[in-house]
Amino acid sequence: MTAIELYLTLGVAVFLLSLHGLMTLHDPIRRLIAVNLMGAGTFLVMVSLAKRTEVPDPVLHALVVTGLVVAISATAFALRLIIAANKDDATTSEDSAQR
Amino acid sequence: MNFALLSLATPLFSGLLLLLCDRALKTGTVAFWAIVSTVVSLAAAWLALQDVVDAGTSIMLNLGGWETGLAIRLRLSSLSALLLVFTALMHLLIGLYAGLSRQGIARDYWPLSCFLHGSLAALWLSADLFNLYITLELLGLTAVAMVALSGKKAYKPAANYLILSLAASLFYLLGVALLYGRYGELDVLLLAPRTEADVITRLALLLMTTGLMLKAALWPLHLWLPPAHTSAPTAVSALLSGLVVKGPLFILWVLWSEVAPPELAQQIGPVLAIAGMIALTAGGLSAMRSPYIKTVVAYSTVAQLGYALMALGLLLTWQLPQMHIALWLFVIAHGLAKASLFLAAGEMQSSLGTRRVEGLRGATQTVPVAMFAFAVAGGSLIGLPPSGGFLAKWVLLEPLLSQPGNWPWAIGVLLGTLVSAAYIFRVVALSFDRARINPPDINPDRVGHWLALLPALMVWGMALSGEWLIQLLAGGGV
Amino acid sequence: MRPPPGTVQAKETSPVSLELLPDLILTLLLLIMAWGALYAPQRADAMTLFIAFGIVVALIWARLDAPDLALAEAAIGAGLTGVLLMHAARELPGELHQTNRTATYWGALAFAVVASLMFLAHLLYDDSLMSAGLLDAETDMTPRLRTLADAAVPESGVEHPVTAVLLNFRAWDTLLELLVLLFALSGLRQLFRDGQSSENRATSQWPESLALMSAWARVLAPLLVVTGGYLLWRGSSEPGGAFQAGSLLAAAAVILRLTGLLPPLRWSSVLLRLSVVAGALFFLVVAAATAIWGDGWLVYPVAYNGLLIITIEAIATLSIAITLSLLVIGEREDLRT
Repeated sequence: MTAIELYLTLGVAVFLLSLHGLMTLHDPIRRLIAVNLMGAGTFLVMVSLAKRTEVPDPVLHALVVTGLVVAISATAFALRLIIAANKDDATTSEDSAQR
Repeated sequence: MNFALLSLATPLFSGLLLLLCDRALKTGTVAFWAIVSTVVSLAAAWLALQDVVDAGTSIMLNLGGWETGLAIRLRLSSLSALLLVFTALMHLLIGLYAGLSRQGIARDYWPLSCFLHGSLAALWLSADLFNLYITLELLGLTAVAMVALSGKKAYKPAANYLILSLAASLFYLLGVALLYGRYGELDVLLLAPRTEADVITRLALLLMTTGLMLKAALWPLHLWLPPAHTSAPTAVSALLSGLVVKGPLFILWVLWSEVAPPELAQQIGPVLAIAGMIALTAGGLSAMRSPYIKTVVAYSTVAQLGYALMALGLLLTWQLPQMHIALWLFVIAHGLAKASLFLAAGEMQSSLGTRRVEGLRGATQTVPVAMFAFAVAGGSLIGLPPSGGFLAKWVLLEPLLSQPGNWPWAIGVLLGTLVSAAYIFRVVALSFDRARINPPDINPDRVGHWLALLPALMVWGMALSGEWLIQLLAGGGV
Repeated sequence: MRPPPGTVQAKETSPVSLELLPDLILTLLLLIMAWGALYAPQRADAMTLFIAFGIVVALIWARLDAPDLALAEAAIGAGLTGVLLMHAARELPGELHQTNRTATYWGALAFAVVASLMFLAHLLYDDSLMSAGLLDAETDMTPRLRTLADAAVPESGVEHPVTAVLLNFRAWDTLLELLVLLFALSGLRQLFRDGQSSENRATSQWPESLALMSAWARVLAPLLVVTGGYLLWRGSSEPGGAFQAGSLLAAAAVILRLTGLLPPLRWSSVLLRLSVVAGALFFLVVAAATAIWGDGWLVYPVAYNGLLIITIEAIATLSIAITLSLLVIGEREDLRT
């Protein structure tokens, strides 16, 4: 087994694990973390594929840079949206947490 | 190709400039310029369509001037040109409603709708798998932004939609990564002859299909759609159901009819077709039972996409590329009809002051034009001749009825028709109940109602140009 | 002598060698952190583990010879996302829903483990993913995307291959990606419309900070700006580029905002709107200009391609920095007034 094969499998494993998280977790922020982890798994697969050659594949690296920026933009929007959606409801749980 | 690029660039430029000049312009001016840019884009798309028809074959463009295999390529086929025209037309019809109806729309709608238009245009033209991923993200983000225009009540469904949309995009991206890893290509046309039916390819296609089905709200991955489309503003719901879900459907079709090896396509065909039949019945049943008007229309989208799924599935099972005509006729007919349904529903909701179907009692007396629009559009969804919906269904049914072995599929289609009729008649019948009328809260907005009727009239007019449309889709090549 | 870029790495002869040890450790670490980020009982712990996960991922990028990505991941994935999550933790302290550990939970988990192992088995016994797709000498002898890209880098106007791909060969992707940032910001702005969300209730969402932090921020922010500028400049020949530079600048803005040193950026200011829109707008203008007066959409004139690329990158860096900052720390005063 080479390092590449190890990381490829790791990428798939992280993807599947976080997919499992997405399906079983109910808290929206945790689900967003799960989606980000799915992204990390995907990028791991891509970067491992890039390293199959001695000099890494610049095309895959460029694609991952693009993917990273897309991920942060969408995550930022999603998180603020979740906060805005749940802000008023959260005050009740905050009170119960303080007791 | 230049006209197609013009059609693509105009809405993007307008959106950017509208954002730039945000504070300096009055809302009316913003709306005006957005609609002007839509008209320009429509004209350019029409000219692009003429170009393709004259050329007789698809026109390709290598972006950046790099050789084929390195460059991202754009493909202008008769279908993508037709879709460019369709997108611009829908934006124009819905934009006119948003701008001229008394209900109005938030000011931020205009740059967002320009951006949505540009994203869709970029999607129809793209022939590169990773580029399609980015267009999917563009589409998803603008769609969620537009759902959020409704205000706080829409934030939860919007957040859910966004999370699922992101997950779906990642499924798609992982599939693209595996395909690239296996074959070394991202270009659709270069990938197509190289693909073989091995494990990695199957896995990649499965991942991409799951992601795309979720984004296109194809059964069984459709549950996010009704809440999101119901809580969005009226004009936005029309755009979402009529256009946005069709983008991923397009990619799904390209993927399976071109990229995938035929053996795998034939295996997945029946699965998709059966999912389509279930979508028709399950979506239709939910539409029949829903108490809220807009939710009925939203479930109707889920059901109607079943027709598209069936057309796609059968296309792949029997390897009959010509069945894509049925698929795209459905898309266009459904888009126009659904726009009318949502606009009419929105008008009736605001005039009658109710969101429930029950509140539509006597609507033929209180809001006749809007109810007429609803009924006419519904007729196309059911597939009554001579509407666009009937045309699409006929093209689908022809091969199904020709051989006795295919009759079970035909029965599925007819069952779907019955269910569509049921939920449309439910609303229309209620509106004829003049015994217990629900009086309107405000005087009906004439302009709004007639604008809501316009797409419905167009979809019935589709049959007039039916021959030309079929020839265009068949002859112009993919 | 360096082997040509397209050669495949030699396969290990023994199944697991000692050289694999650091990678195995990183793998285990990553899996544990992923598990924690998903299932830690306290959500604050999950967020912290997620940030640590991002840092380990950056390490793996460095190990896999991807310095561009390590830079981007550290700044974006660990840094900016961390700030976002911390803000979310403060706004929504309670868990919104509870997770039930039913039978489907364990079943799905078993599926994830089994599927990963099956994937590994496939990799070990089937060559298709590891070596196919790399070799030119296949039946049709047509060079693949990678080979064409490597060959075209000298004509692209820059020396660093990743920048060449991003800003020249696949410039359309990058243009659209600048639009992705912009669309996300447009979406965010919707959350602050008059009286819509409770985000505009509190006057200051971000906590007052210690004097030490302010002093440190005054030193760190200019350093980040300089480093960002350097990365941008360096991007044509070495790892770096617009996205890495932009995210460092955004990090600087975030630090300044967290310590109260950044005044509200007002949307009513045309300068702000211009800097947000400029990256995508300039890129689109270049595309249209090359289409109308040049050789085609995004076909850079050969004499100026290097200059054009650095100009596009510089303007894009500004847009990326401002947009990312607004996405992470933008409040009502910045986005709506």
